[in-house]
Amino acid sequence: MTARVLGGPAPAAGAESLAGHRSRLGDLPGRTERSRIIPMLESSGLLGRGGAGFPVGRKWGSVAGRSGGDAVMLANGAEGEPLSHKDRVLMASRPHLVIDGLELAAEAVGARRAVLYVGSEHAQARAALERALDERDASRSQSLPRVPITIAAPPVSYVAGEESAAVHFVNAGDARPTTVPPRPYEKGVGGKPTLVQNVESLAQAALIARYGDDWYREAGRAETPGTALVTVTGGARPGVVEIDLGTTIGELAEWAGVPAAAGSPVLLGGYFGGLVAGMDAWRLPLDPAVLRRSGTAFGAGVVAFMGDETCGVTTTARIMDYMAGSSAAQCGPCVFGLRAIADAAARIATGQARQDDLARLRGWSQSLAGRGACRLPDGTTGLLASSLRVYEADWTSHQHHRRCLVRHGMARASA
Amino acid sequence: MSGRRPTDSGLRLEIDRIACDAYGTCAELLPEGIDLDEWGYPVIAPGNVPVHLVDLARRAVDACPVLALRLVKAASAAAPAPQPGPVLAPRPDRTEGTPPWPVRPPSRTPKRRPDPLRQR
Repeated sequence: MTARVLGGPAPAAGAESLAGHRSRLGDLPGRTERSRIIPMLESSGLLGRGGAGFPVGRKWGSVAGRSGGDAVMLANGAEGEPLSHKDRVLMASRPHLVIDGLELAAEAVGARRAVLYVGSEHAQARAALERALDERDASRSQSLPRVPITIAAPPVSYVAGEESAAVHFVNAGDARPTTVPPRPYEKGVGGKPTLVQNVESLAQAALIARYGDDWYREAGRAETPGTALVTVTGGARPGVVEIDLGTTIGELAEWAGVPAAAGSPVLLGGYFGGLVAGMDAWRLPLDPAVLRRSGTAFGAGVVAFMGDETCGVTTTARIMDYMAGSSAAQCGPCVFGLRAIADAAARIATGQARQDDLARLRGWSQSLAGRGACRLPDGTTGLLASSLRVYEADWTSHQHHRRCLVRHGMARASA
Repeated sequence: MSGRRPTDSGLRLEIDRIACDAYGTCAELLPEGIDLDEWGYPVIAPGNVPVHLVDLARRAVDACPVLALRLVKAASAAAPAPQPGPVLAPRPDRTEGTPPWPVRPPSRTPKRRPDPLRQR
């Protein structure tokens, strides 16, 4: 466990003050060094931490290349993923590092205004950021050109964090995704090229600006360099921790005091992610590139240990219901498809399966991806497909024998 | 379906999923390339539109009552597409081999179907 963005005082101690932040990390480097930030980010290998894992340097470059000095910078701290807490922990404890990253990015892409987009339920995070902005207003010694920063607080919603939804909310007060293209980097807030970047990515960028890309790459044990914040649940010590990318699932389990037998199912990435199980899975490094090749994903860094005492069918049905309720109700395949999935999964979970429910679930798990304006159907059906694989015996028993393997104390066949 | 690959037009069909209201006109005009799911929403065959279907595809585009269907240059997908959500495991039904566009001449005469429930 390597503390970088969460280095310094314990996050539980609350927001780090501007004085504390400066004495620990110093100011951002001077203008000449800052002007090299985009190539530096590219060679650092930093990947976005909002879930998609897009290379940060390239993203900044694509906005800078078309902004003409009139772009908008949006820091994404919506964190609507129910299992993830890392963004709010970061914003609440290291507000100045996040704002450093925001100002750095705003300068790099030529933004005239910047927005902190923070989920309205993340009260501590918002309070910390507001206080931090006040502190910075009172202290004029920052070397960066000042860019006006506002805070936008979208309602609690899964899709509010999707980048076109973020732009839509700032433009029109409606945190629902819009049809892309045009994507935000082409036409975003106020019709201007807009860089939407997750708050952890910004904090990482603020450190890379200070210490360099070589320093950044010193961390990381597999293919993808650097550290990442992960949210761990299901063990004795749940919480947010910063890991070297490439730390294995098994090592993280040990750190988190997971009581479950090694190899038991793990949900990676969150509700947008996928389930894996078995000893091979526990040896997987938490590394976006490796996980992607293994057919799963790092996503926003959620690692949820399911244990063997949990019925995967029931849990999946609950998640499907949540996702169906999260639909912005704009696209037919999402509105009808996710509801149909949730209803069939609930029937199977509660012993009321209709004859073809499981077969239909299998069909929908393959037929809905790519058929919404945003990727909610893709994420939902991806998780469903992984559950049908990992918990195959449980689904079959529920469907055909109306019998829960966990409740009847039958050993789950580990993959 | 024959084994011959139809000539690629370099164009593909794209749906504005928010605008689409399941009128189904597109599937009626271009059954070779558009199917409807159980709720009446279009499922587009993967790959680009073959040359011999481009005219019909254009008619389907023009006929959509809510202008949700577009025919676009296939290369326009190359731009960076950062979106939340992991890349998912490949979908076996959509990733294999040549696009399943049937090589057959357009045979159907498009007909408009009045749907009183859809009037606005």
